[in-house]
Amino acid sequence: MSRRTKLKVKLGLLNLFFVVACSLCLIPILYTLSVSLSGTNNILSGSFSFIPKTFTLDNYKAVLFNEPYLLWLKNTLILVSATVTLSLAVAIPAAYAFSRFRFIGRKTILYILILLNAFPSILSMFAIYRILMPIKLVNSYLGLILIYVGTMAIFGLWNMKGYFDTIPIEIEEAGKIDGANDFQLVTKLILPLAKPSIIVTAVMIIIFVWNEYIFAVTFMTGAQKYTLAAGLYALQATQYTRNWPVFSAASLLTAIPILIIFLMIQRNMVSGLTAGGVKG
Amino acid sequence: MKKRGYKKFIPYIYSLPGLIFIGLMIVFPILYTGYISLTNMNVYHWFDFHIIGFQNYKKALFVLDTGFLAAFGRTIVWTAVNMMLQMIIAFLIASLLNVEGLKLKGVYKTILMFPWAMPGYISILLWRMGMFNTEFGLLNNWLNRLGFSDVHWLNSDHIAFGSSVVVNLWLALPFMIMIIDGALQSIDKTYYESATIEGAGYFVQVRQITLPLLKPIIAPAVIITMFTTFKQFDIIYLLTQQQGSKTGADIHTVITYTYEKAFVTNNYGYSSAISIIIFMILIIFSLAIRGGKKGGDVDE
Repeated sequence: MSRRTKLKVKLGLLNLFFVVACSLCLIPILYTLSVSLSGTNNILSGSFSFIPKTFTLDNYKAVLFNEPYLLWLKNTLILVSATVTLSLAVAIPAAYAFSRFRFIGRKTILYILILLNAFPSILSMFAIYRILMPIKLVNSYLGLILIYVGTMAIFGLWNMKGYFDTIPIEIEEAGKIDGANDFQLVTKLILPLAKPSIIVTAVMIIIFVWNEYIFAVTFMTGAQKYTLAAGLYALQATQYTRNWPVFSAASLLTAIPILIIFLMIQRNMVSGLTAGGVKG
Repeated sequence: MKKRGYKKFIPYIYSLPGLIFIGLMIVFPILYTGYISLTNMNVYHWFDFHIIGFQNYKKALFVLDTGFLAAFGRTIVWTAVNMMLQMIIAFLIASLLNVEGLKLKGVYKTILMFPWAMPGYISILLWRMGMFNTEFGLLNNWLNRLGFSDVHWLNSDHIAFGSSVVVNLWLALPFMIMIIDGALQSIDKTYYESATIEGAGYFVQVRQITLPLLKPIIAPAVIITMFTTFKQFDIIYLLTQQQGSKTGADIHTVITYTYEKAFVTNNYGYSSAISIIIFMILIIFSLAIRGGKKGGDVDE
């Protein structure tokens, strides 16, 4: 065999390997898609393929109109926007302070924040419940928002601090010489420069809140107040077990926005995360 | 530049709101957990609990049949098995992605990233209902078609553990592949060229060039993944331990065990003691890692 054909065979086998790997990787998602588009509960018959015999959008209609899906979407959007706004509002100035100033306690606090980040919040969930209950913040969005902001403030602070560190201080000094005051310096110079990192942080917060189910289920009672994640969780635990096509449709509807956002910012995410706090 | 008096307070003013949130929602609950761990608080002693010292800790660490030590051992095995498989498979796939002449690399990479982009809890529920379900899951359907009988994927300890590992790999491999792929690309190609000229074979090159150069680049990501694997709650909980629909497999890791003691059997004092023990273990881990790494200072 000539060197050329040998190389061709090698690449052929390699492509075959990746086609198989990618199919294996996609099977759970493709199967869900097929179930969600098929009319009956039992689409499995005949062969190994799982392409539905009849296509229908009934399951999607059922999700949108027979379930409080749109209400859950609204609740989720409220929580997401409040959490993103508050987290960024507190984390950006803090990240800036920890990046640009040297002050007593700075290193200690940064170090404690790393250790706190290692603590899974599920472990203190009961204590949080016990603390929030007497002040009437259980079963209220405000309670959930406070919990989410606390968790995401640590992440945001570290992530954006890392990015601020990479912006040369000379740029600020040049701005000062040109007569900019502190406020102008931040709004006109620093924030535009830090935009990639702020966007990545915001997106990570959106994804976190969108996917968080265990606090939402534990702290909220009544389907009227559920988020999408809590609603989906509650439904699979009860009725959807018997109605797998409708559940698949609901799952995909909930996953798609995150999938799109994620794939859109994927490239930024790698740089945004590696330049930031994750490096230590 | 001379600092005016008030300037000293600027960083504190900037960071105060954030630190207050973190203090109230993260630090205070942890301290309160520590306090509860010293009491006999449970569903019968909701208000009239009292301090009982370190009894909860003794119970967790020295009474064998509470299940904590078993769960701890299982968590170690869980972390080790997952990390090993993940590193090997991710290295293999990333190396193959970097074979020269692979034109569709971008397409394959995007597809392989999909599990990472999906919301985790949804993927896990889809695995539970779509793949593992005994009646209408895809896996049993295929088995039946091949002439085998149904397997109960989530009901007995060993098979359920294996199933959970598969789901964890499915979820976690994309991140690791991406990290290793990035690291492989950063290695200077001339090393390999001169090694080839000197007659070093493929495996020698991997052992002498690739792995040593890879290690420092991927170390942070590997450490982070190790912690996430150790702390993994969703997979085991959603697959086997959901309240009201337990599958019968007892594959608790420390985190799901703590959750169960707090919210299912309502033994708050005991559960809090375990929370604190886990937190201590995590702190010791991270201190050991930081201590072992040179220049592990938080500053840079």
